[in-house]
Amino acid sequence: MDFLCFVRSPEKTRKMGPKSSKWIQLLLICFFYSHVSCSSVEQKIYVVVNKTTPCVRLLNATHQIGCQSSISGDTGVLHVLETPDDLDWITETGPHAPYMVLMETPAFTRSTMMRLKNSTRVAGVAVIHTSTPPDKGFSPHTSCPNQNTGVYTQSYGPELANCSTTVWNPLGNGLSYEDFPFPIFSLKDDNETQVIRKCYEDHNMRVNGSAPEYPLCAMQLFSHMHAVTDTVTCMRRTDLQNSFSINPEQLCDPLMDYNVWATIRPINATAKGHKANESMVIAATRLDGRSFFYDVAPSAEGTVSGIVTLLAAAEALRSVTQVAPPPRNIFFAFFQGETFDYIGSSRMVYDMQNNKSVIDFDNVHSFLEIGQVGLWNKQSLWMHSDPVSRRNDTVNEEVSSLVANIKSAASMLNLSLDEPNSTQALPPSSFQRFLRARPIPGVVLADHQSSFVNRYYESLYDTSEYLNVSYPPNLSPEEQLEYETEAAKSLTEVATLVARSLYKQAGGEDGMLKNITADTKTMAKLLYGFLVKSNNSWFRSLLPRDLVSRERNPILESGPPQYYVSLSQSQPKSVTTFVKYILANMTGTATRLNQSQCQNPKDISGESKDLYSYDWVSGPASENHTTGEPFCVRAPVRLAKAESPAFELRQYGSREYSTWTESRWKNIGARIFLVASPQLQMLTLGVGIAVLLVSLVVTYFISSKADILFSSTHDAPSTTY
Amino acid sequence: MTVAVFFGCAFIAFGPAFALFIFTIARDPLRVIILIAGAFFWLLSLLLSSLVWFIAVKASNADDAKLQKGLLVFGVVFSVLIQEVFRFTYYRLLRKATEGLVAISDEETAPISVQQMAYVAGLGFGIMSGAFSMINILSDSLGPGTVGIFGDSQYYFITSALMTLAMTLLHTFWGVVFFEGCEKSRWWVIVVVVCLHLLVSSLSLLNPLYEGSLPPVYVVTAAMAVWAFFSSGGSLNNLSQLCTRKRTEAASS
Amino acid sequence: MNLERVSNEEKLNLCRKYYLGGFAFLPFLWLVNVVWFFKEAFVKPAYTEQPQIKIYVKRSALGLLLWVAVLTTWITIFQHFRAQWGEVADYLSFTIPLGTP
Repeated sequence: MDFLCFVRSPEKTRKMGPKSSKWIQLLLICFFYSHVSCSSVEQKIYVVVNKTTPCVRLLNATHQIGCQSSISGDTGVLHVLETPDDLDWITETGPHAPYMVLMETPAFTRSTMMRLKNSTRVAGVAVIHTSTPPDKGFSPHTSCPNQNTGVYTQSYGPELANCSTTVWNPLGNGLSYEDFPFPIFSLKDDNETQVIRKCYEDHNMRVNGSAPEYPLCAMQLFSHMHAVTDTVTCMRRTDLQNSFSINPEQLCDPLMDYNVWATIRPINATAKGHKANESMVIAATRLDGRSFFYDVAPSAEGTVSGIVTLLAAAEALRSVTQVAPPPRNIFFAFFQGETFDYIGSSRMVYDMQNNKSVIDFDNVHSFLEIGQVGLWNKQSLWMHSDPVSRRNDTVNEEVSSLVANIKSAASMLNLSLDEPNSTQALPPSSFQRFLRARPIPGVVLADHQSSFVNRYYESLYDTSEYLNVSYPPNLSPEEQLEYETEAAKSLTEVATLVARSLYKQAGGEDGMLKNITADTKTMAKLLYGFLVKSNNSWFRSLLPRDLVSRERNPILESGPPQYYVSLSQSQPKSVTTFVKYILANMTGTATRLNQSQCQNPKDISGESKDLYSYDWVSGPASENHTTGEPFCVRAPVRLAKAESPAFELRQYGSREYSTWTESRWKNIGARIFLVASPQLQMLTLGVGIAVLLVSLVVTYFISSKADILFSSTHDAPSTTY
Repeated sequence: MTVAVFFGCAFIAFGPAFALFIFTIARDPLRVIILIAGAFFWLLSLLLSSLVWFIAVKASNADDAKLQKGLLVFGVVFSVLIQEVFRFTYYRLLRKATEGLVAISDEETAPISVQQMAYVAGLGFGIMSGAFSMINILSDSLGPGTVGIFGDSQYYFITSALMTLAMTLLHTFWGVVFFEGCEKSRWWVIVVVVCLHLLVSSLSLLNPLYEGSLPPVYVVTAAMAVWAFFSSGGSLNNLSQLCTRKRTEAASS
Repeated sequence: MNLERVSNEEKLNLCRKYYLGGFAFLPFLWLVNVVWFFKEAFVKPAYTEQPQIKIYVKRSALGLLLWVAVLTTWITIFQHFRAQWGEVADYLSFTIPLGTP
């Protein structure tokens, strides 16, 4: 069978079946015996559902999570799950098992899903993504994120390990970490789901509780995953394939991408290891999030609030650090893959320990991490620190001074800021991976005192609406880009606080602090680009032109970027790229170099590829030109590989490092169609066998009596029967 | 649908052709050659008519539904005519071949009679046209779905198979009658065959009104069967002889 | 080769070669031997070399059965326990089906 017509590859190549010529092609098939084209019968049978997102299989050292279908797709009769009655019908009483369950997101709960998982009568689940989030909150993540790879273990603060003092994500139901034996797809609520609903209503609706009659509407989902069991198994098999097979079949790939880092004073990025006379204040946040479904991860509060705050803070610091550079350097770090057991930060720590990074631990003065800050609503921010390392007096002193610095900055801004109870553990944060290596003083800034305020942590509801990034109606995209929402204003205050704290922590003069303010306009644009629409004029102006105008895999989308880390295929993910170029804009300077000089600036005095990266960016579009005037930006911004050290060390069963891998697959697809009753199928077979037998008998009879029947022509065989 | 439908349709469409082949063709290499060559000639006719149709469709406005429908009708008529022209060509070729065969053979008569040749050639046409109309439908009958999501009849597969069966048999009968007409220079016979072929092909334009197309096609098939029976040397006398012999055999045993 | 046209001596020679060849872990040679010489050994009227051929054919059949038994057992065991054996089974496999443990 030929599935090419509807299968889409992970690179989002979506095809629409040509429907215009449908009629003509049908006519052709039915009557014009000579001119049959393959796809047309298929088009009369199947309706391909294009706007789908599957749940895919991920693996770690010990488990597999996610979903998978059989290799030829899983088919089931559609049934819409609306009431508990429907659930009974699907799992117990309905006569047409297996069922393909169609539900809307409010029904997508742990209890329902576990009941479906434990039933053998379920072929798969299609979840229609409605935008109204449940009021009581929903988080498919675990209640204790990154439980086993944080700093707290049996040997380090055992009383704090496994979230025993604070359950960070109490709403987390762990659905994202279940292994489902059937495919689960998310469907966008639009015309396609209307077609599915119509098909269901026409054919599968129960009338007065009695079972519907054939033909029934059915759905087939394809998401066959190659990898199985755990990372150890799939990496072993991949290695085996690579060493023996002529045609090696990769089974899984490590989750990986790039960290982004920048410093306010350039450091030599080609020389690895300790930097003499450098003391750094690290300002960090994370770049990734996830949800139950592959590459649907809006992560507004969970991730974007931190990214935009740190980016705006970097911009706020630029002018002041040029006028009055603080004695210590500030190191901005954006860690990728943190959701999956701290891939980015553990890699950076590993590199720092092994002199493979640009700095080492002796260069680190202190650490300020921006956690989830989007929902503080101008009420209160919280500075979380590690109680275990603070038992040491020197560390405690330094943490206290950092806290005091932040507090003084906050008091200037009239912000309410406090420390949670001193026995509370650090929330899940990249900083924990640094603490595992050395008790450096540090603080995690967040909007929650204990448990997350975020009710939709790592779910598909953690969107711009949840952060209150909403615009008055009738604004054009350009006006929306510039519009200062309440969220932008409140996050700007946090960014100002972060910038001033960093400056003070870096030893800057108090007198300069009042000159440091984050720009609300920048924050508005950042929020718009990261949460609403990445294809906006501002992002376009900051990116190199070849990235902007790329036809294949365009990184600028009409929606927000997705924050799932995934695997980097030759180039960094879109979010990483955006952060890199925006950070270059925030920390760098425009130069007068031309394009060739920009690519190779080493002969020009005052320029150095060791200290800076040079990017030929598009430039802002002016009134009369749709494309801007490109120029060369020089900035101390770099990418650093964020692949878990477990894969470099080939310790696929590592307990120390992240071992998350993503399974490979060939076909992801969904289609609906009618299935015929078993009676009709058997009737067809029966008629076929009857025709065959009758014609065998009759032909044998006639051909044996041919000489009598066709007596005028002797020995002639039959011409008829 | 499923494997059951696949085999059901395959048996319906190709069961009779298969039976005819193994009992009347397979044992004689000359007949196999004539059968294959007949199939090849039908393929040539298909090639030519599809070429013309392809050019016509490409050259026309694809959005004009009326025009496309007209083109389709034209295509059907044109294809039927081309098929019959090739049938005639094949007849001429076979005549020439028999003369050659008679010349080289030791006996006075040809190793195969014209009626036999007509039957084998007709079956070759039928098998090939049946295969071309059915193979793609068969491959789709394997998949899980059945036709009908756009409101079409769910009997699509079985009616297609029945139609193919009728077409295969019709080509065989047409072959017999057509060759006889050529042999005896009764041109009206050829005209009738071409007209019936046109009629049957046009009837299929009525689909998906299967009630409108299938019964007439089967009526034509039955009529052609009777005609072919008589034109290939059968008679009522023979039939009754067969019955009486049966009876005498039954009595004697 | 048509056995009808070969002398009895040569038949015996051929049968022996196939029989001995089978010992080089080539059970298919035995299969061919059994099928090919079955008529010669058991159906044809007796001739001098026939008892010898009979012996070879019988032994080939026996060896073949043994192979079939051993292979069937091993394949059954391997397929059944492949997932449980984990690493060992992966190293014993040439192709591993995708998406199954």
